[in-house]
Amino acid sequence: MIGAYRELEACMLLLGHVLRRLPVLKLPPMAQQLTREIYFTGVSATAGIVTRGAFIGTLIIVYVIEVLEADAALAVKILLWVVLREMGPLLAAFLVLQRSGTAIATELALMQITGEIASLRQMRVDPRDYLVVPRVVGLAVSTAVLTFYVQVIAVGGGMLLSALVVNATFAELADSFFVLASPIDIVYSLLKSLAFGVGIAIISCYHGLHPPGISINAIPKAAISAVTQSTLVVMLLNVVFAYLVFGVLLFGLVTAEI
Amino acid sequence: MNCANQPAAATTQVPLALETSGVGLACELPADSGSDGRIWIPAGVSFRIRIANPAYRARLLAAIFDLVPDPDLRLVLLGAEVSALGMAERIALRARLAFLAAAGGLLSNLSAWENIVLPLGCHHPQRLQGIAVEVDALVSELGGVPKVLLGKLPEEMTLLEKKLTGFVRILLEAPDLVLVENFAAGLDSAGRTRLPYFANTYHARHPGGTFVQLEDVLGE
Repeated sequence: MIGAYRELEACMLLLGHVLRRLPVLKLPPMAQQLTREIYFTGVSATAGIVTRGAFIGTLIIVYVIEVLEADAALAVKILLWVVLREMGPLLAAFLVLQRSGTAIATELALMQITGEIASLRQMRVDPRDYLVVPRVVGLAVSTAVLTFYVQVIAVGGGMLLSALVVNATFAELADSFFVLASPIDIVYSLLKSLAFGVGIAIISCYHGLHPPGISINAIPKAAISAVTQSTLVVMLLNVVFAYLVFGVLLFGLVTAEI
Repeated sequence: MNCANQPAAATTQVPLALETSGVGLACELPADSGSDGRIWIPAGVSFRIRIANPAYRARLLAAIFDLVPDPDLRLVLLGAEVSALGMAERIALRARLAFLAAAGGLLSNLSAWENIVLPLGCHHPQRLQGIAVEVDALVSELGGVPKVLLGKLPEEMTLLEKKLTGFVRILLEAPDLVLVENFAAGLDSAGRTRLPYFANTYHARHPGGTFVQLEDVLGE
């Protein structure tokens, strides 16, 4: 329990450092790191994200219409509530965690064990500035962009399929979707995905910078800790966001009426 | 004065107390450190010191490069007694020091060029403009081929190329004190002869600088 509290405290301090030191991204080496992180997480992961997003959207629509015998209107509502607000950010976050969170924890733990982080210190380069700040910003931006991809592909793909299996055209489904959807849904999922990205990056960087030992065995342990704790934090953040929206209705801007 | 590759015959010229005037690096290590005892290196020379006990070598390096002074180790760096300095002064002093690790101290996911310009990009980004010419000249001067070396990742380099890359990175920042760790370790006889070139290049660019080769006995 004390260990968990200390890790939480250390992660919050690391987050504070990142927020304070955002201007270092103007320096060429940090800007280069940021570009690499966005490319690795946001660009090269796009194909996988798009495929998975289309599968998820299709699966939900088929399940709702065929198994629950719902009509097209309810299917659109499910797409909005489940895919746009919940599944999109969650799916993108888990794909980012699976791909980039593990990569960050492993890479930084290896750098720590092989003395590369000590080399950075000897060059008077703060490892948090050079390694953590670009990764946190890059992962947050990439998660938000990937969430948008998932939402577009899953919702679009789901409505396309619905038009094939239910008695409604794609245009009718799209019309009812845009009547139900509001800009706040996009803002909500954007904020949520940014928070997911920051949480995953901070936890992965923390465990990478503090591997549990100096042997090679510490590297998978750091990756495992990063994945399990990031998963927990993503779920926790999702609950907090759901409470903010559905619990207090976000000052009435979003309603949960069916 | 260039005394590269001469073992430190420190005992003949050691003052009774650690002086600060004109000192590049001075400290006292206990007899079980396997060192030459009291180390006293004047500013502006090349010197080789041996510390056989790795624990003391690590302790000396930590005392030199960490910002928190070692309370049990009197250390004079570039004319200043480290324990007497405030944090701001220690940070300023730290900026005048550089260390070349035995394996070059390179980041494995950056090319030689990216490794060389990394500290410059962080501390003096305005100097990056036109730095390529200077880097090419330094690599050539130290015996490397710029077009071949600068695009390589550390895993593609020989040990000598890694040391060369790390040293070019150091030269660009022109530190007043350079510590080179176990230069000869892992190099063949031809590679070992490069050390005087490194020291001479450093002194030619920075005449008042101190070049210290830190060796363990097995590294000879």
